[in-house]
Amino acid sequence: MNKSGLVIRLAVVIAFTAVIVGLITTQIFYRFTFLNEQLLGEQSIKQLFNTVSPTASIASYLGDEELAQEVINGLISNDLITAAAMKTDMLMVKSANYQESAAMLEFVLFSPFQKERSVGVLLVKPNDKHLADKASNISATNTAVVAIEALIITAISIFVTYYVITRPILSIGKALHAIRPGTLERIDKPSSHENSEIGQLADDVNDLLTKAEQQMLREKSLRSEVQVLESRFRMLFENATSAIVLVEPQGDILLYNKTFEQLIEKLKLPLKKNYGNYLQELFILKKELHEQIQTSFANDESAVAELELISHQEEKMWVQVVVTQLITDDFQENYQITLHDISKRKQQISLLDQKANYDSLTNLLNRQAAEQHLKQLTVTGVAFALIMMDLNDFKPINDVFGHDAGDEVLIHVASQLMKSLRKADVLARWGGDEFVIVLPNATKKEVTNVCEKLAAQLSKPLHLSQHNKTVFVTASMGVSFYPDEQLQLLELIRAADKAMYQVKKDKSTNKALYLAFSSDLAKPDNAGKAV
Amino acid sequence: MSKFPHALAMLILTLLSASVLAQEPLAVVVNKANPVSKLSRSELIDLFMGKYVAFPDDSKAIPVELKGEHKIKVDFYQNLVGMPLSRVNAYWSRLRFTGRKRAAVFQPNENDLIAFIIANKQAIGYVPQSLITTDLKVVYILNE
Repeated sequence: MNKSGLVIRLAVVIAFTAVIVGLITTQIFYRFTFLNEQLLGEQSIKQLFNTVSPTASIASYLGDEELAQEVINGLISNDLITAAAMKTDMLMVKSANYQESAAMLEFVLFSPFQKERSVGVLLVKPNDKHLADKASNISATNTAVVAIEALIITAISIFVTYYVITRPILSIGKALHAIRPGTLERIDKPSSHENSEIGQLADDVNDLLTKAEQQMLREKSLRSEVQVLESRFRMLFENATSAIVLVEPQGDILLYNKTFEQLIEKLKLPLKKNYGNYLQELFILKKELHEQIQTSFANDESAVAELELISHQEEKMWVQVVVTQLITDDFQENYQITLHDISKRKQQISLLDQKANYDSLTNLLNRQAAEQHLKQLTVTGVAFALIMMDLNDFKPINDVFGHDAGDEVLIHVASQLMKSLRKADVLARWGGDEFVIVLPNATKKEVTNVCEKLAAQLSKPLHLSQHNKTVFVTASMGVSFYPDEQLQLLELIRAADKAMYQVKKDKSTNKALYLAFSSDLAKPDNAGKAV
Repeated sequence: MSKFPHALAMLILTLLSASVLAQEPLAVVVNKANPVSKLSRSELIDLFMGKYVAFPDDSKAIPVELKGEHKIKVDFYQNLVGMPLSRVNAYWSRLRFTGRKRAAVFQPNENDLIAFIIANKQAIGYVPQSLITTDLKVVYILNE
């Protein structure tokens, strides 16, 4: 921090100027002094000549060497003269160091008795070195005076500029440096600068500070407004029950709320920055999502779809996905994706579905569902075998051990039957102790095999824990084929039913009998034949 | 007694001043036998102020002077170089220090002076015009 920079700079400039001006002044003064001294010297020499001129005239007039020598000696004994000579027509007297040169002062000597009669010349060489020395001496004194003067002027200038200009400006600068804009602090006017330009500067700075303060206050209030608004928006966003995500077209997530985080947590997935386009990685049926989005966006609508989420837990998670296209102020395309959790609703629906289509005791399809299923098969034209099954001697179990035991038996039967069936096969509880089994695309042989397996499974003993009693269950089965035998469902069922009753009827005579084909009933010979 | 010489002196002075005022021309004369017949003013000054000790024809010259402050002498120098006699004397005193000897011969009065010139072929002197005799040759006339 160089706070005195101004002062130093000023001092340097003033001192420099003073030195330069001093040098120039000294040089000029020296020149003038030298010329003046030269002039003075010449005058002095003229005066000297005037002093010696009578003697010189006599010497010259008479051609008296001794007298001339006396004059010359007299002249050169003076500091002003280095050499002198006297010349007449008969005589030449000169000082020892005399040399012919141009820089000579020449005085014509006249006869002492006839003022118009020239009798010789006196040549005098002025002592230039002496003149220069004298000029130098005077100049040296002058230089010293100028130097002292420059020093004094510099000191005064610096002092005055420092106290009148620099210090007030520095004080303003220092005050300004310490001030925090936006506060009530202001700069004090430097004393004795009430009406000067520096005072004006302080006023202007204060005006500027006032303006800055007002501006900052305005901004502050605006900012707090924005903050309030933002906190409200944030509250809305964060506390939304639906997961809300803002994504870029490439799938990068720009923003998400707490609910989304919780959802990801629930799905036991890592929280990532990108889950693919429209968060597609979260859904089991990505294709459906994309199709829905394409059609909706083509119609300028938000895409809405109900989709199941990929979940690593048993509970299925369903969401209603709403994808809305957003265009930002700078024409960027973004997508707002909202995920409403509809798992509960889906669960309720499936529960209702369960209740409507399944037998609550055995969890098998109920009669209505089975009929629906059969209808579906006939509509699509799939060939199948229909097996109607009825348990033998179920009523006594119900009567002897109670309904709980009967229910236990039914559950046991259902599970045993399930074990012997393929995935495509349908098993339904037709009512009471009656079951229906549908085997699509099955030949008579296959049906026979399946039925044999079923009978074998059923024949396994069941221990009724509550009654500590082991029971054996058997069943009678009647089979009809679609579309080989009957095209009408009702008739088909009746045919199978008929075959089954035939088995029950024939069982009194043939204990091992458990299966009959309705097609065989048409031929009385084969009726009740055990397979 | 004492008043008489005083009055006489006064009378002489009055007469003298009268004669000065009369400005009688002075003649510069030489011996009749001297070959010089005419001198210029400069030549005259050179001879009497000691520059030359010979006539222009190189024959030796002897300037003849009156002794003391003779009126004619005063007149002569006043006319010749425009200086009072005191300054002329000072000039000679100055020269005496340089070792220069004056060639002039001094005579107590005009008559002796004239006699010396008549007797001496090399002499040259000054006399009032009224005293010129045929034995003298005038070479220059001052204050004409």
